[in-house]
Amino acid sequence: MDWGRLKALMGKDLREMFKSKYILSAVIGMPIVFAVLIPLSSLYPLVAIDPSEFEGGDEFPAYFTDLFAEVIPNWDAAGAQGQILIIMAYLLYIMVLLIPIILPAVTASETIIGEKERKTMEALLASPLSETELVTGKILSSFIPSVAGTAFAALIYGIITNIMIYPFTNSILFLDPLSLVFLFVIAPLLSILSVELMILISTRVTSVRDAYQLGSLVVLPLMMLIIGIVVSYFFISTIALIGAVAILLTLCVIFFKIATNVFDRERAIVKLV
Amino acid sequence: MLAVETNNLTKMFHKLKAVDELNLEIKEAEIYSLLGPNGAGKTTSVRMLTGLLRPTMGGARVLGLDISENLQEIRSRVGHLTETPALYERLTVRQNLDFFAKLYKVPETEIKPRIEEIVDLFELPEKLDDPAGTLSKGMKQKVAIARAMFHKPELIFLDEPTASLSPESAKVVREQIIKLAKKEKRTFFICTHNLFEAERLSSRVGIINHGRLVAQGSPAELREMRKDETITIFRFSTWESNTKEFFDDMKIEIVEQNQDKKYVSTIIKDIEKQTPNIINSLAKSNFQLVEVKHEFPTLERIYLELVEMEGVPREENNMEEI
Repeated sequence: MDWGRLKALMGKDLREMFKSKYILSAVIGMPIVFAVLIPLSSLYPLVAIDPSEFEGGDEFPAYFTDLFAEVIPNWDAAGAQGQILIIMAYLLYIMVLLIPIILPAVTASETIIGEKERKTMEALLASPLSETELVTGKILSSFIPSVAGTAFAALIYGIITNIMIYPFTNSILFLDPLSLVFLFVIAPLLSILSVELMILISTRVTSVRDAYQLGSLVVLPLMMLIIGIVVSYFFISTIALIGAVAILLTLCVIFFKIATNVFDRERAIVKLV
Repeated sequence: MLAVETNNLTKMFHKLKAVDELNLEIKEAEIYSLLGPNGAGKTTSVRMLTGLLRPTMGGARVLGLDISENLQEIRSRVGHLTETPALYERLTVRQNLDFFAKLYKVPETEIKPRIEEIVDLFELPEKLDDPAGTLSKGMKQKVAIARAMFHKPELIFLDEPTASLSPESAKVVREQIIKLAKKEKRTFFICTHNLFEAERLSSRVGIINHGRLVAQGSPAELREMRKDETITIFRFSTWESNTKEFFDDMKIEIVEQNQDKKYVSTIIKDIEKQTPNIINSLAKSNFQLVEVKHEFPTLERIYLELVEMEGVPREENNMEEI
């Protein structure tokens, strides 16, 4: 693996991507929707309700209160309204974690199928780049904007929700281990997996439009995977979460191998009808 | 050492034989043109030699390296101008050249001076910081040629290099090709259907049709092969009514006669021996001969005859560019 070539490929892809209004609007727009518009439209109405409206209702199940009491320092003092807001904030946080799955459908389509569509692929394949360098470069250049978009969204989401909820909790949300593991471990792994699946799709399709359509199918099983990981933690144990992460990591390695094996110069140049 | 050597190189796409037992030997510092109509197998041949396609049968050595074993080294030592300019249109010309320079491991300190050198060669300096997408078709092609030559490859494959260039730009490119071949001993493998270009540039040409090499040699050698088809024109100061009878008696085939312009075009077998005899006979018979001219077969005529003889080429319509 030649890192100089890899760096050149990534630099070129990122430069191209950030000169595309379409990609830029996806990388910036998606975090804005998930991190700004959704929490504002979902949480703010709850914040604006008079706290007395929440009094005298049913109690949360003990399982929830115990779980959140472990993560949120002032859970009991947050009151019913604060506790509902905290639960809502954590549920909506999962939506932020969909960004690393959805964005690669855009970025990977652009960097791989875009090359074919614009007929630049042949010159790239005629260069001394090896298959592994090419696939790794494409994975990284699709992965970086996805992870940057996710981190940006998580930061904005964290600021907005904490501004709204802090008066109820007097503590900062999303600094707990689960949230951090999701952001720094699971989100990047999901992003890599999503890019790898898009690369596999790119070997079968000829247009960016087709890639988007098939890419939307890739998103669904990965969303189920996220839900599975959340459930494994909430309802089983931390060890189950570590196991889920290990499975995710293994899948990333397996799909990397498949992607580099499936990516074939001849197939990328000529499609037999 | 030969720059390119192919041994029954064959490529099949399903049942279609795109390249059929191609045997080539291209010497170092040679400018070789592979001529052929669209779909004849030119691009497929180059794609096999640059490792983009795997041969179905046969093999080849490029710069002495086997294409089935040393592809990465071959790719790093050759330049390749693809059918389309294949530039990144959102990036500037400089960024395009810089990117490929890094892929070909041109040392960082050499990239900037080399960019300035090569854009001067191809008369591009004022366009250097413009996005490639804003350039004219001809300019894009020049940038693509500059890119193929940027890392100073020993062997350069050029697929229709002057197809979209203006006559002035095409002249600049041709001059650079000749200069690089002569001064820097670089080998050029040019795919073209531009016969004018092939004739002026190449030391040897190959004519390919239906994937098969149907003729090969220097333009002069190809003409020599067809010298029996040389047309000899006899022009007279006055037209004699028995001109046709004279040539018929000498058993010389008349291709055309023009009484107003006072000439006869003929095809003579063994022109070196026969022409002086005919001139003597004409003089003895009191024909007022003012000019004798041989029109040797042009490369265009040879090419068209060979291609037509082989039938209309099939388009590679069962292949889809992706």
